[in-house]
Amino acid sequence: MSEKYPINLWVNEERYEKLQKAGLAAMCQEMLAGLKCIQVYCNEAQKDKILKVFPTAKFDSATTKSIELLPRQVKDKIFDLVVQKQSIDIMDEFLKGY
Amino acid sequence: MAEIGHGGKEIKERILEPAEAKKRIQGLKAYPIRSQLANEVIGIAYGFFSPLEGFMGKADVEAVCKKMRLKDGKTVWSIPIVFDMSNEEIAQYGVKPGASILLTYTGNPMAIFEIEEVYEYDKKSLAKDVYGTDETKHPGCARTYAYKDKFVGGKIALVNRPKINEPFTPYFLPPLQLRKIFKEKGWKRIVAHQTRNVPHTGHEWLMKGAWFQTYGELPMDKPYVGVLVNAIIGEKRKGDYIDEAIILTQDELRKSGYFGDHNHLTSLTFWDMRYAGPREAVFHAALRTNLGLTHHMFGRDHAGVGTYYGPYDAHRLLESLQGEINIVPVYSENWLYCPHCGEITSESLCNHKKEWQKFSGTLIRSIVQDGVKPPRLIFRPEVFDLVLECAEKYGFGSPFVGEEYLAKRTPVFVMPPLA
Repeated sequence: MSEKYPINLWVNEERYEKLQKAGLAAMCQEMLAGLKCIQVYCNEAQKDKILKVFPTAKFDSATTKSIELLPRQVKDKIFDLVVQKQSIDIMDEFLKGY
Repeated sequence: MAEIGHGGKEIKERILEPAEAKKRIQGLKAYPIRSQLANEVIGIAYGFFSPLEGFMGKADVEAVCKKMRLKDGKTVWSIPIVFDMSNEEIAQYGVKPGASILLTYTGNPMAIFEIEEVYEYDKKSLAKDVYGTDETKHPGCARTYAYKDKFVGGKIALVNRPKINEPFTPYFLPPLQLRKIFKEKGWKRIVAHQTRNVPHTGHEWLMKGAWFQTYGELPMDKPYVGVLVNAIIGEKRKGDYIDEAIILTQDELRKSGYFGDHNHLTSLTFWDMRYAGPREAVFHAALRTNLGLTHHMFGRDHAGVGTYYGPYDAHRLLESLQGEINIVPVYSENWLYCPHCGEITSESLCNHKKEWQKFSGTLIRSIVQDGVKPPRLIFRPEVFDLVLECAEKYGFGSPFVGEEYLAKRTPVFVMPPLA
């Protein structure tokens, strides 16, 4: 099976309400001492593209194996797309714009 | 009583009295220096880099590169401290052995540089010896390749004390001053926490764990052990936490009672990180010996970058130098959150491995960047609030370094006009 690389979308109350309305609240995980998170996944090619298009982003290879430090507005766009599509399988569509 | 620093040498500040400084700078050509060199002038002049008295000559650089020692063959030293100039500048400023120039910074006099040697050194060979690679993408190699044509060796004497701007003023504590504070506090052992980060509870517990390790067999009737958070302040990269947030949040752990005056102090050192991994760890050991510390925390992949060094390479190198460095390494590994224990714990203590929730500085930065407040078990609320306050007050709306911060921030220090 090919490797999957998560992007963590951290969920505060406002985001949780939106996820509930989209019927996605059950997909939230408690990641860190109760802090909720919804993950979208990239494949290898998508991960490479993300790191190239957003140079501040970082793949945390040592600890979490996730893609971190995407600019806030980018994360907001990804989150909005998740809610709009009612799915976490949105990275292809998101990356079309870049 | 003499204060003995790294290499068994007495720490002596190289700072001229104002009257003598005024006299000695007369007629000298003024050469403006960039921030890296200004940081290193301070390091030399105040004794942070003792026993160095100036920028290295070729014999020292060669010995450091090839044998990790100064040219005396005994004193351990791992990173070359060099002053670079272009051929044109060397001609223009009359730089030659026996001559002196006046180094200026932010438009005002800083130090007299007594030139002893002008030389060339193979940068690729230097990079390979110090960083273990000659790849340009290694930031230390990139810094090396950016040096100008030649290196200039010679002694430094500060002619003017830097003005440290707020909020950094209380944290500039040079070696002799810091040693005095330690005596006043009655600390017999002090352990260094090297940082360039805003602390999450993993960092807090690294410090607490190191405090326990350092305390050892000492009696508990009085507080005999302190943690010194020594923040490295130097060149910033986009996406780093801003300096103001780093220094103030580290101190906030003391102010908010997670530590106290009796066991915690925050200070800074000016230094542009080389990311030399194990060799940088050895440099940090020398630096903190000069600060008067007895112990030094070294975590996983200390001062490393990318995948250039193994996670415990620095520990192994330090082990090989025991008896030659005068600071006790305190090794530590990652702390994490265990939902089963309901607390922060260590990989070597807790056995609920399948339940572990690991977190890193990168992950926490990511949460903060999303505008989400992490739980207090992971990130102290006082620290989070202060990060946001620093973003507004110093960071142009962001706690992370951006272009506006780089262009418009108040410098950490400037040289004032000579009195």
